[in-house]
Amino acid sequence: MALRLEPLNRSHRPLLADFQNPQASLVDYLQRYALRHAEKDLLARTYLALDTAMGTPRLAGYFSLATVSVERASVVRLPELDRLPRFPIPGILLARLAVDTRVRGQGLGRYLFEEALGLTLQLAQTGPVAFRLFVTDAIDAEAARFCQHFGLVPLGDDFPCRMVLDLRPLLPNRSST
Amino acid sequence: MSRFQALTNAVLDAELEQLRARLGLEPNQKAELLREMAAIAGWVARQAEQGRRIEARRADGEVEPLAHPVLERLRTAAEQLVSARLALSDAEVQRLAAVLDGGFDPPPALRAALANLARADRRPPPLHWPPAA
Repeated sequence: MALRLEPLNRSHRPLLADFQNPQASLVDYLQRYALRHAEKDLLARTYLALDTAMGTPRLAGYFSLATVSVERASVVRLPELDRLPRFPIPGILLARLAVDTRVRGQGLGRYLFEEALGLTLQLAQTGPVAFRLFVTDAIDAEAARFCQHFGLVPLGDDFPCRMVLDLRPLLPNRSST
Repeated sequence: MSRFQALTNAVLDAELEQLRARLGLEPNQKAELLREMAAIAGWVARQAEQGRRIEARRADGEVEPLAHPVLERLRTAAEQLVSARLALSDAEVQRLAAVLDGGFDPPPALRAALANLARADRRPPPLHWPPAA
């Protein structure tokens, strides 16, 4: 297989400098913070898509996952919430997802999104903890459209736009009502 | 209020006095002035913490961004932070409630993604890199 997914570790450092993406914050996060968050701070784990078709691995894309607690900023009672889970609601945050500019438009973004969702569902089904939401912050309108395509719903109108997917209907042996 | 007054110098006092007058408050309403300022500054800081830029727009299209080193630091930190805690506004909560309480009708792309994940022969896409310049 030419493309493989690996959790980011120190051995990948030399590959990070070559990553290209028009969103500077996505490049900056990968090159300056992702390893620290994964190994030192234990805040998020980053997965790299490494293309080995030409022998030497090349970094084609990445995504980062973290846990998240979705809370309310205010304590005002909302009748809509009476039948819903109590806040805070636990979830998994797709904190970053980016594809190298040179391999855009070849289905890698979709593949990485599926991988991120697959890892999340696997954890939700067989992991030792329960959580309800798959959350992301779409960085711009293009990212929001991409996420909406997969059923994530925007919670706001501004960018970065918080978007959520309810995982309960996707898990076997759990009713959706 | 006495401690607040003791901490301010003459220039700051003058600026606060100007602001008080602009906000339509009386000279004996310094506590209200402080409350209003805290509310406005709190809103500004929250926007920056969420990685947002604040701009003043006029009808003729002129845009003036609110630039301040402290806000820039907050905004940059927000961009880098992998947030472990998301605090939703009431409007966001209401949309979330609609998501959790509504029926589930997965769009075709999500159905396809789930079907792909279930396939044993799932493969990543082959990638074509442009030749190096």
